[in-house]
Amino acid sequence: MTDLVPALAALVPALPLAGLLLALLARTQRQADMAACCTALPTTAAALTLAAIALLHGGRPALHGQWYLIDGASGVLLAVTSVVGLCSTLLSPTYLRTSGRSWSTAARSRSLYYAALFLFWAALLAVPIAGNLAVAWLIVEATTAGSALLVAFSNRRAALEAGWKYLLLTTLGLSIALLGIIVLAIGQANAGHHDLHALDWHALQEAARALPKTPTLIAFVLLLAGLATKIGWAPVHNWLPDAHSEAPAPISALLSAALLPSVLLIAWRVKEILQPSVGAGTTRAVFIAFGLTSILVAIPFLWRSLPWKRLLAYSSLEHMGIIGLGIGFGAPLAIAGVVLHVAGHALAKALGFYATLPLLRIQPRAAIEAPTGVVGDSPATAAAMGVSLVALSGLPPSPLFLSELLILLGGVAGGYPLITAIAAIALALGFLGLLHAFMEGVVGEPAHRRHRRSREERPILALTVILGAAMLACTAAGLLLPGSGFVDTLTRGTL
Amino acid sequence: MSGALISAMLALALGVMVVRRRTVAIALLAAQSLALGAVAIDLASGRSGYVVAAVLLSKAIVLPALLYLLIRRTPETGPVAAAASSIVRLACAGVVALCAVLLVPPLGLGDAHTEHVAVALVLVGIAIVTMRRPILFQLLGLIVAENGLSLLAVSVPGGLSYVIEFGALFDLALIVTVAAAFAQRIHGDLGTGDTELLRGLRD
Repeated sequence: MTDLVPALAALVPALPLAGLLLALLARTQRQADMAACCTALPTTAAALTLAAIALLHGGRPALHGQWYLIDGASGVLLAVTSVVGLCSTLLSPTYLRTSGRSWSTAARSRSLYYAALFLFWAALLAVPIAGNLAVAWLIVEATTAGSALLVAFSNRRAALEAGWKYLLLTTLGLSIALLGIIVLAIGQANAGHHDLHALDWHALQEAARALPKTPTLIAFVLLLAGLATKIGWAPVHNWLPDAHSEAPAPISALLSAALLPSVLLIAWRVKEILQPSVGAGTTRAVFIAFGLTSILVAIPFLWRSLPWKRLLAYSSLEHMGIIGLGIGFGAPLAIAGVVLHVAGHALAKALGFYATLPLLRIQPRAAIEAPTGVVGDSPATAAAMGVSLVALSGLPPSPLFLSELLILLGGVAGGYPLITAIAAIALALGFLGLLHAFMEGVVGEPAHRRHRRSREERPILALTVILGAAMLACTAAGLLLPGSGFVDTLTRGTL
Repeated sequence: MSGALISAMLALALGVMVVRRRTVAIALLAAQSLALGAVAIDLASGRSGYVVAAVLLSKAIVLPALLYLLIRRTPETGPVAAAASSIVRLACAGVVALCAVLLVPPLGLGDAHTEHVAVALVLVGIAIVTMRRPILFQLLGLIVAENGLSLLAVSVPGGLSYVIEFGALFDLALIVTVAAAFAQRIHGDLGTGDTELLRGLRD
């Protein structure tokens, strides 16, 4: 099976790029939808095959070639990105049918939408398999261009503001990260390693102990500070709530479920390779600081009466904080929790964003204020929102219940009882905040008495069943993670 | 020669922070990018070094041309009110540059002047984005910061891989193109490029 890896590693990002060209060639809206569907299915099949190989190989050292590196974490990210990418592509016609005219004529808008979507998706699929730090940075930077256009797709003033803020802040953040990469390159050049491969994950890991301590520490801090902007960690998260709430729902799902954890994976790898030079205490402290700050900043917003997508955006801030905290704790239990959390959060959050499609038809004011009693208007939409909220709040049998428990136990095992206690209290408060949103928004007193069936209900109901089952499967798989070779390899940081 | 050109790059960045006319700011950026290209030629050690220098010189022509087209398409009826006076802006940029000189420890290049100016350019670029309200100036701030990164990259002993240089330049071109599209849309919606008016999203 591993013989297939080089071909699949090239094919996985190449397929959506081919889809981009197909979308641009489409003359009608129907042709664009067909091109999107014909691209999404083989892309997902190829990515899931590669993910399966990576996950089955997960207990052993990473598979790597000249340009790629595939480990267990890559497998999780590939699986998540392909599934959410497929769902987002298939739901896009539903969004586009009601979005009206955007930056161009209706047909041209749809072609441009799919072109930007496939550029974004291709980059997201390439990030976890890039075998080189600088190449990974280039790909992350490329995600900005495509996704910024998508954030502003509706062409409303608020969307333009969100898109511009996203473009500006994340580009500046990535500039800081690039500064860190160049500082690392200087260290490698001084050791006689000049070419591009000097910045391969493997080359950096081998050279880490020989790198000078102070410049490497500076590089680490710059890289983490820069990547934090794109991850959406507090206090550099300002773009996140705006971009997530103004983007089309299928794009919000990709932003939250795939983009944020993909960039987090790069940060994780940076930590692993530079830890021997910088010191485990420092690298862990930086992750814990970002993680805890993000959770604490997010909690007050989860208690507020916010529009649905904005609530989900602040929930993303909280969950990226939890993942950062788990990586910072570094204990095997915490790493098992991190792996499960990435998968569970992606499925739950994507479902929540997809629920926006029927929600905004039923309660158009949910775009600017908190929804009320959706179950009275549309039981199917309420089911999707309910499953998403229950999962995100961490109620059992949600995979996030298990993952948060593992991360907290990992915190205690890793020797951080005080931070674990603070995080546990914050998570409990976050849980109550989301429970309040569930009681008011989903099952509370309905604002409308009449059930208005919308065309978006049927696909959202099917997705609720599929993604709900996938979340239960994640919970079951999560029970097998602690003590597994898969987690052991990730904990040791063997790239 | 490189030392003087590198210092000139910082002076030109300070100029972008201060000037009010968009055409003048674009001219200053073009001059800064040309100085960067000249530094790259001076430091080039092999064929790939000259290729990188040629790419940087082409950037000095292509990006300003694109930005000039943008201001032709987004005419302003009057100057956008400044968030702070030009003296205050210059003082802030000067303090930021001074911080880079005083606080940044050696990065391993062995040339403290280049290291300080490169980091100062990144910081001044960020300061331009923060302190200038017109959308075009925020875009120029991004490019100033990127020029600082390119300066450090071409100064790496043996040069940074041209794959990274090309990739970063391609990404920058993509970002500038998308940003230009945004600038046109925002100008079309607001009738001005004043980003101060884009403050509707708050919690």
